[in-house]
Amino acid sequence: MDELLQEFISETQETLEALAGEVVAWEADPSDRDRLDAIFRFFHTVKGSCGFLNLPRFERLSHAAEDVLSEIRAGKRGADPATVSAVLGIMDRIGELTEAVAIGAALPSENDDFLIGALSISSADVAEPAVQAVAASVAVARQGGVQSGPRTIRLPLSLIDQLMNGVSDMVLARNELSRKLRERSADPELDNVFERLSTCVADMRDVISKTRMQRVDRLFAAIPRMVRDLGRDLGKRIDLTLEGGDVEMDREMVEMVVDPLTHIVRNSIDHGIETPEKRRAAGKPDAGRLRLEARQSGNQIVIAIADDGAGIDTARLVDKAIAAGRLTPEAAKRLSEEDRLDLIFQAGLSTANQVTAISGRGVGMDVVRANVERIGGVIALDNHPGQGLCITLRVPLTLTIIPGLIVRAGGQHFAIPRSAVVEILHDNNETLYISEVGGAKIATIRAIRHSMVDLEDVLGMEKPVQQGPRAIMVVRSATGVPFAMGVSAVDNHEELVIRPASPLVMATGVYAGMTLPDNGKPMLLLDAAGLANAARLPNIIDDRAARQQGQEADAQAGVEMVAALRFEELSGERRLLKLSLIERVEDIDAGLFGRSGGRAFVRLDERLVPVANGLSQFDRAKVSALRLRDDRREACYPVAAVLDIVQMPAVPDMVAMHGMLSGVAVVDGEHLEVINPFALFAGLPEEALVERARGRCVLADSGDGWTREILAPLLRQAGHEVVLGLPGDCAVDPDDVVLCTEADAAQAAEIMGCRVVHLRASPRPTGPQDGSIYRYDQDALMAAIAGRRA
Amino acid sequence: MDQLYLLATLADTRIAVETGEVEAVVRLTDISPVPGMGAHVAGLSALRSRVLTIIDVAALIHGRATPAARRGLAIIANISGHSYGLMVDGVSDICRVPEGELPLRGQLDPAWAPYARALVEHDGHPWLLVSLAAFIEGGALAQAA
Repeated sequence: MDELLQEFISETQETLEALAGEVVAWEADPSDRDRLDAIFRFFHTVKGSCGFLNLPRFERLSHAAEDVLSEIRAGKRGADPATVSAVLGIMDRIGELTEAVAIGAALPSENDDFLIGALSISSADVAEPAVQAVAASVAVARQGGVQSGPRTIRLPLSLIDQLMNGVSDMVLARNELSRKLRERSADPELDNVFERLSTCVADMRDVISKTRMQRVDRLFAAIPRMVRDLGRDLGKRIDLTLEGGDVEMDREMVEMVVDPLTHIVRNSIDHGIETPEKRRAAGKPDAGRLRLEARQSGNQIVIAIADDGAGIDTARLVDKAIAAGRLTPEAAKRLSEEDRLDLIFQAGLSTANQVTAISGRGVGMDVVRANVERIGGVIALDNHPGQGLCITLRVPLTLTIIPGLIVRAGGQHFAIPRSAVVEILHDNNETLYISEVGGAKIATIRAIRHSMVDLEDVLGMEKPVQQGPRAIMVVRSATGVPFAMGVSAVDNHEELVIRPASPLVMATGVYAGMTLPDNGKPMLLLDAAGLANAARLPNIIDDRAARQQGQEADAQAGVEMVAALRFEELSGERRLLKLSLIERVEDIDAGLFGRSGGRAFVRLDERLVPVANGLSQFDRAKVSALRLRDDRREACYPVAAVLDIVQMPAVPDMVAMHGMLSGVAVVDGEHLEVINPFALFAGLPEEALVERARGRCVLADSGDGWTREILAPLLRQAGHEVVLGLPGDCAVDPDDVVLCTEADAAQAAEIMGCRVVHLRASPRPTGPQDGSIYRYDQDALMAAIAGRRA
Repeated sequence: MDQLYLLATLADTRIAVETGEVEAVVRLTDISPVPGMGAHVAGLSALRSRVLTIIDVAALIHGRATPAARRGLAIIANISGHSYGLMVDGVSDICRVPEGELPLRGQLDPAWAPYARALVEHDGHPWLLVSLAAFIEGGALAQAA
């Protein structure tokens, strides 16, 4: 509030100063319409501002003066000297009150009624003393003048520019010094001092930058209150949305945009948005939507004011123009819809049926356009009769700081405003597909087709061969359709001070300005819209894909979706499995899989884990496997390939329970079988595959060097528990496997009731009856151990 | 007669420039090229915190870019609010010329016509008096458009 008040005070004082000359001229020639208008606008502004600043005395004074001036403007009353003096008296009083508010002193207590009364009496005799009284009190007020509160001064912007340049020079000098210091031997003392200097310079740069920049928030600050008050006065309900308040804008620019913006918002509420009754009749929600959005786009700030009101009735505009004699009926017939809409910018034309307190008092869209164009801006209308109006203001951003991305292309660096970049992908990304037809490149990103250009091609640079993927940026300009742009790489993200480039460089149309980074090498700022123009990209929105996506999103919104893993079975079918069941996916050696008692298992981390789909033989060395887990058991599910993660409906589109499947779901147009997790875990062996089942390998000939040094380590490596020597007691388990080379040991083991693997030293069997295995035949040995145990 | 002239050579031609137009003469260091521009814009170069647009004047006249190795000096000038550097082959002197500006004589190469204003006599040779602003406004911008 203090800030607003401060603003109001300085603004009023400034206008008063500027008006002082006008008033004198008006006094000399009261019929001078321009000057009268200027003075009228002053009172109007004061009245508007002080309404919500709670300054009732200002309001009463300005209101009275405005009424009188309004009558003079309407020709109902002459501007006789007495009236002029009375108006001047009120201006003085306002100046005086402003002064008092500024220094926080008590407001001078002269009777305002006296001044207001003077307005209605056209007699010089009465007005004169009032003016004198005012003059006296001005003197009093000035004497009181010790300033309190935040002290501000106004500086010419050129001075700030000079300061800024100076600081930039300083930063560069510091960088050079820093380089020089690095080349020399380290001196901690010197480094310390330099560090301090560095910090000071950086701080100073920040502060100087701030003097010029202002967040758009400040531009929006007064809007909510205004919208509420207007809405209440007019009996309309309005939903206000403000967006992009953090965009930074040149301070000067903010000041220039405030008035047009305020005016457009007033218009929108007064003429655009209908009363709740009318809206209901038109099938719209009771509350009108008003949306203000600021964004930065290349070298412009775009402020869009959109409402969902009645829009502009162009037919009535034409009628009015004809009635006002600006347009002949014949000419009116030849007008295109755009030309008709353009009439709104004609002075003195308004679609308002009657002049209301809020707008329609003659300060119209013509003034708005003039103000915007004076600062090099553009105003555009997007009119949908009956559905709303969107007014877009584009104002340039001369010297501003913007967040930018540094990209590399053709061995050179360029900057691009971050706001213009929607997303960045590498060209090896799976969601991106680049195709070429008739020389045109098309990048399809998640089913949306974008025009694709390479920055090097647009700028006519050589495209150096590069290792690794290129970066593809989806770029959105203020006006056009997003497009994809390929660059060598996106290097960095920086706050950039943008300065205007020379007209020569700007004439190419692809640059929005330039910036001088700390390394002292000038860098060009790319203009997204200009690039699209230069590449002559078609400007047609491919809304089909977007619409389709929207529809899909709508359709799916009703169905509960869960994440699922899409994979390919070893048998070739593609299936889905709920992602939450999958603990992880890993590649497992095929050799770790095995069968036992008709069930497949895999040996993982010294445990046997059941294989859910019963497979144990694979045609490859490594198998991708899903590791599944319910609350207490785990399972392994070998697959041919893991494809991707998709959203599937929680209930399959077609429920068909049989075996391990629960039904069929359609994902991206593909019919996929869904695994039923219930059946999957139910099908696992009830008793866990415990350690016992593995049994032990009992090496009967423990005294033998070969057995101890070669066989035992091999078996241990393969994960078997190894016991050296037949246990003296009868602790041999029926599950144990006895390995022996001596025939008598084999017999002894057989008597004890365990299985025996008989090894022999010679490669060839001694006869057809010989069931022994050659001791270096590892495959046969392992199979025998595993098989015997089955 | 008190007018000072900067005498330089440019595209094998002796030229003179009114010193009022000249801010400084610097030796060019790094030039960052501006892709998408004709050969007459050599690029951007930083002079302290100012960014200069470097004009290859020889390319403007002959249409052939000066090779990077031969880029030497540039005349710095501020033309309609922007800083430019105009590349020249060499700078020989700054002096007064007793006779002042002389009218153009002889058949001037059409390539030079838009920029040459008059002649000045120095050391027994004629020097073509050119205007730096004409290079930018008359030549470079017209080519860029």
